Amino acid sequence: MSPADRRVSPTRYGVPLLVAVVGLAAGWGLSVGLPDYYVFLGTSVIVAAISLLGLGVVTGSAGMMALCQLSFAVIGAWVTSELNLVKAPGNGILWMVAGAIAAGIVGLLVGLPALRLRGVNLAVVTLGFAAAVGLAVNQYQFPGTAIGVQVFRPQPFFTDRSFFLLSVIVMVIAAVIVYALQVSRVGSGWRAVAFSERGTASAGASVRTTKLSAFAVSAALGGLSGGLVTLQVGFASASTFAPLQSLALYVLAIVNGSYLVDMAVFGGILWVAVPEILKRLGIPQDWSLVVFGVLGVQALTSRTNLGEIVRAAARRRSEVVVLEPAALDDEVPDPTPDAPVLIVQGLGVRFGNVAALDGVDLTLRAGEIIGLIGPNGAGKSTMIDALSGFLPGHTGTITLDGRDLARVSPARRARLGLRRTFQQDRVPPSLTVEAYVRFVARRRVPRPELIDLLSFLGCPAPGTRLAAVDVGTRRLVEVAAQLASRPRVLLLDEPAAGLSHEEHLALGERLARIPIRYGASVILIEHDLDLVRGVCRRILVLDFGKVLADGDRDAVLSDKAVLAAYMGETELL
Amino acid sequence: MIQGALAGLASGGLYATIAVCLTVMSRLARVVNFAQVAVGMFGAFSSVWLAGPGVPMWLATVIGILVGATLSGIVGLVIATWLAEADVAVRSGVTVAALLVLIALSFILFGTKPLPFTPIFRGAAFTVGTVVISQITVVLVIVAVAVAVAARLVLTRTLLGLRLRALSERPITAELLGIRSRPLSVGVWIVSGIVTTFVVEIVAPSQSNDAVALSMTVVPAAAAALLGAFRRLDLAVVGGLVLGMLDGALAQLQGLALLRYFLPFLVIVGLLLWLQRGEVWDVAR
Repeated sequence: MSPADRRVSPTRYGVPLLVAVVGLAAGWGLSVGLPDYYVFLGTSVIVAAISLLGLGVVTGSAGMMALCQLSFAVIGAWVTSELNLVKAPGNGILWMVAGAIAAGIVGLLVGLPALRLRGVNLAVVTLGFAAAVGLAVNQYQFPGTAIGVQVFRPQPFFTDRSFFLLSVIVMVIAAVIVYALQVSRVGSGWRAVAFSERGTASAGASVRTTKLSAFAVSAALGGLSGGLVTLQVGFASASTFAPLQSLALYVLAIVNGSYLVDMAVFGGILWVAVPEILKRLGIPQDWSLVVFGVLGVQALTSRTNLGEIVRAAARRRSEVVVLEPAALDDEVPDPTPDAPVLIVQGLGVRFGNVAALDGVDLTLRAGEIIGLIGPNGAGKSTMIDALSGFLPGHTGTITLDGRDLARVSPARRARLGLRRTFQQDRVPPSLTVEAYVRFVARRRVPRPELIDLLSFLGCPAPGTRLAAVDVGTRRLVEVAAQLASRPRVLLLDEPAAGLSHEEHLALGERLARIPIRYGASVILIEHDLDLVRGVCRRILVLDFGKVLADGDRDAVLSDKAVLAAYMGETELL
Repeated sequence: MIQGALAGLASGGLYATIAVCLTVMSRLARVVNFAQVAVGMFGAFSSVWLAGPGVPMWLATVIGILVGATLSGIVGLVIATWLAEADVAVRSGVTVAALLVLIALSFILFGTKPLPFTPIFRGAAFTVGTVVISQITVVLVIVAVAVAVAARLVLTRTLLGLRLRALSERPITAELLGIRSRPLSVGVWIVSGIVTTFVVEIVAPSQSNDAVALSMTVVPAAAAALLGAFRRLDLAVVGGLVLGMLDGALAQLQGLALLRYFLPFLVIVGLLLWLQRGEVWDVAR
């Protein structure tokens, strides 16, 4: 093992759990040692930190603009107050959890439009929701507040000090859950969907589930903070949850990068400390919102946040360590054409009046690599899009292992073993190589297998951040990740783009071994005919959406019609 | 009901004018300007603050409009300088921060209580049957239509409009053709600031006029702008007027207050889902 492998040894859960225990101990220490006033402020810090933690999931990880975090807190506070008013069974802790669940459900509903709406449209929706909830709360108030019913803290957390400890416990549990989600496939999905929905679906992850889970988790944490503040203060008041505060929290989440757990806590401290310091100095506390707003503009214009700045400074100068490609001693055996895996019959795609594909037939057998070539605009990528499910309006039939794929979603096709890579960069830069491979694989990949796979294609070491890797290498990581899922069929859309000629040839050597090593059949789109000739025994040529030739590579590449279409009339191969 | 609807026409005029501004900003400045009404609010509050110690009303109003224009220009300058090539979401994110800053600053400078506005227009314009139509309503509806028509004429009939459209649709190409991007786009921000502050000055005396309520008028205005998909000015005006009338009509019905609050939100969600029904994926390919 090279040092690079050892550096990223899996301490994924060990260190965070240790931090959690230290956090609990510190919380206990503070609950005993702090002066009364600071204990109350400390609870406020934790309430804000939980809210920010949730906001970090939806805006930071999943990249959606959500301006209504405190509207979810309203739900939590409302449920807690209502259950208290009707003297529901259980105590404040249970009611608070019920409030979090209720808020999570509302989050799902508010998140539903997010399946079609992105970016700024989603911001309009969530600001609309925040404004509506703000007005409604002002009008109707919380249950019991009009008649002065107080929400009592549960025993044994009745005093300010013990309640602070309870808050710390709640936050540590929430933080551990969020962290576990962030480093799991779910969290990788959030980051993937923020970068590319198509890429996410091609990894077999449902874009719908991914987005809604981010909204639900975020809203549940908002609801939890609402319940907690209700217990802290003894009643819920509309001003705590004003839409303006939601905006401020959103801006703060952007400033410090609250998808990082430590920065969520730090954000909570800022949220409470800045106005408190201003108050001590005799300056109006509203200046804190101005400070947050200006920092927000700074963060947005510089495209970074406090958490990333701190981490970049702490990180050792990260050079990308590329794993030495393993020596290939095995000979590529002659493929023995086996049973058909993928059968395409009469595939047609129209964009308006243009027939991008017209009556394409193709049978891919197990263990086979087909080269798909043709001039620009011949319909090669359109064919990959149709096969992988992104063009549901196509005509003709596609069957995988005897199963008709009509109306099967791209994510489902990926899970059935029909995988693809993209010509464009669809590899989320915020992930590490390892997290990305595990996300795309959708199965437990033992570490030796991971290392073996990455070194097979000459990819960077598992712990490398994808942001530090050039686009050509990212394509290789994409191929490796799709292979890790053990696909039945792998569709490669120009995997060698961005590589040098020598790297092309080296890649060809490896692509040729995919069927024998990983059991996948391959369709390879490539412009470099040397590469295609070296890898594929069979070639299919598309021209203007129709099959021009299909058969043995030497016969196809010497076909007059192919030469005319592909190389131009006057040029010769 | 009808009385309520006609009473809501004043808000409708405000929504319509702001919706026109939002549409123009979206087309020319590639931004959904969440701070659109906030700059107007701040300008209008400045007028009231000045009018208090005895500055003549007309002068205070003019200064207020200049304040609104300047603030809008500053936000525009920040975006045009540092986020010239950024996508709409990031550019709009800056306006969210600006909205926060403007409301907070208005709390600090002008307090959190509604301010004693002196109406520029007051009293009835005419009556329809038993329903009184106020001067404010008439003026606002006229302003909304006038702003929309003027914006359309400038955009489609003048060289300036052509340059502005080129700049927003192909910024780099436009710059290579010698169109100076920053002054033009900041100019758009300033003009939209002037228009917004002007209508807020007119409407503020008749509305619940605290800083947050006024600034949040951007929500129903965005709903109206969405009817025109942030492109069609005529539909933005219609959307604003209809939304205002619906709001006024619902205000008459005691039991439906909750529906009234959620009306802009529901309109936004409904319209967006309809407009984006084909947008299954984030990118075309």
